[in-house]
Amino acid sequence: MLSNFNRKLSNVLIFLLLLGLSISNLYPLFYMFMNSIKSRTDYYVDPFSVFGLKLTWENYITMISQFRIFNLFKNSFIISFFTIILLLSVGIVASYAFAKLNFKWKNVIYLLVISTMFIPVQATIIPMYLFFSKIHLVNSYWSVIFMYVGMFIPEVILLMTSGFRGIPDELIEAAKLDGAGYFDVIRYVIIPMGRPAILLCIIFYFIVTWNDLFTPMILLQSMDKRTVMVALAALLSRYSGDPTFQFAGLVLASIPAIIVYAFFQRFIIKGISLGSTK
Amino acid sequence: MRGTSGISFGKIKISQGVLSIIPVIVILIFVRFYPMVMAIYRSFTNWNGLYRSDWIGLHNYIEIFTNSPFWKLFRNSLVLLLSVPLQVILGILVAVLLYEEVRGWRFFRTIVYLPQIIAAVTIGYLFRVAFSLDGPLNLVLRGMGLDFLGIEWLGNTATALGVLVFCLTWFSIGWQAIVILGGMSKISPEVFESAKMDGANYWQRTFYVVIPMISRTIEYAVIMSMVWTLTSIFAFIFTITAGGPGYETSTIDYMIYIKFYQAGAPYGFASALAVILLVIILSITVVEMRYTNKVSEWE
Repeated sequence: MLSNFNRKLSNVLIFLLLLGLSISNLYPLFYMFMNSIKSRTDYYVDPFSVFGLKLTWENYITMISQFRIFNLFKNSFIISFFTIILLLSVGIVASYAFAKLNFKWKNVIYLLVISTMFIPVQATIIPMYLFFSKIHLVNSYWSVIFMYVGMFIPEVILLMTSGFRGIPDELIEAAKLDGAGYFDVIRYVIIPMGRPAILLCIIFYFIVTWNDLFTPMILLQSMDKRTVMVALAALLSRYSGDPTFQFAGLVLASIPAIIVYAFFQRFIIKGISLGSTK
Repeated sequence: MRGTSGISFGKIKISQGVLSIIPVIVILIFVRFYPMVMAIYRSFTNWNGLYRSDWIGLHNYIEIFTNSPFWKLFRNSLVLLLSVPLQVILGILVAVLLYEEVRGWRFFRTIVYLPQIIAAVTIGYLFRVAFSLDGPLNLVLRGMGLDFLGIEWLGNTATALGVLVFCLTWFSIGWQAIVILGGMSKISPEVFESAKMDGANYWQRTFYVVIPMISRTIEYAVIMSMVWTLTSIFAFIFTITAGGPGYETSTIDYMIYIKFYQAGAPYGFASALAVILLVIILSITVVEMRYTNKVSEWE
């Protein structure tokens, strides 16, 4: 009886602690949204107020019509999209080789590829910037895309190789006996069977590239090529700016990543926790 | 590994394997090795990004170590690394709470990880607003009659660094908790049951059962977040303090960014900073490689 009561009590306590933590994670987002639909005056009177206010979508309208945030969305989407396409096409074949094919020095090359993950982007950005400016790729999406592919491909290969290792060799052998060539094996065995790892890479690197600031900030300086994070960071660094307007921009910019997370959160969490022990 | 096929078949496999990794090797050479080697070479020159690139030996390094804010940057990086033990400890506590699978734990797990989904730009701006002179925190403090605490948090070195540590910790608890939870899910439930039967209470279970059994996961989490703190927090610093006041909250990687835009383009100097950063990361990575080797031995 007593231990049963203790158990219930500790469960209630754990529930309350987790609830408190969740509120600490959600409140900042609520604060940001609430103040983005307030007038500037109401914000300065009391940033915590929730009720009895005249709410307005004006900040959002200005964000869309004058700040042209959807144009920035387009830039970010293009960069994320082509980064993911390249990561997958390069990553799938390489991971197939590392997981299922044999060749000389495979393990050494694998370790070398993975360890480039630890080269900080700051150590490479200046030579790359000057290289891109020589071949007229500064202010082009491609400069950022190539940088991203180089930065993220080791992790993609790490994830996919461990995913592809789980595919039974018999399936590949059977496909080969049926006359499947190299690309048939990838298309009909590796991609369908390795889908969890591939999907995780798509989701994860969409969020990472969407949210990144440093690389596009250095490489994209023309106004019409900037990603949404670069443009917002520039807007935020003006101390005189109107916080309610800035909040509106940040809310809009957070939506794509939050939507993706809402749909695929179990996937992401599983991927993160698997990555730790692999 | 698959010994059923003949030698000639084996030869085809070898070339397929090599062909498959050519694209990634080419990309890594162009986008990672070439600029890294370039940065190492240019760090011994007075390069300005254009035609000037004279060999000046160790001059940049001597300049950095004797006549630049380097030691301040180094101090700041060390202070920010304090967030790593905080994150890991809090992450373990949260993971242990989630592990109990109380009502709604899946929802809590989703929300715990949520900050990782929000852009650093957004989080940094929220922290800057929260800790500004007339920001929410000071409003609350004044409301409680604690006016003397309503200071300019981001204007003083100690408190500004404190805000950054707080921000990095808050941002990372979710990642730590999920990674550690992943490590805990490998512990068989019987271990917990027998510990409970032996009368171990909650804290004893955490310290004597959970932590020793996930020591490798913790090692991984510590190394990854150390590297992350040294290389990937640009957006937080940029939005919260912009490295200021002065260079009081700048780190080594942030200084490379400052030098990139500085008049006269001191790119040789910036390259030397990059090399120093690289060496620091490398020494942490050596430990990581040892760890990776251990893992592959198990497989």
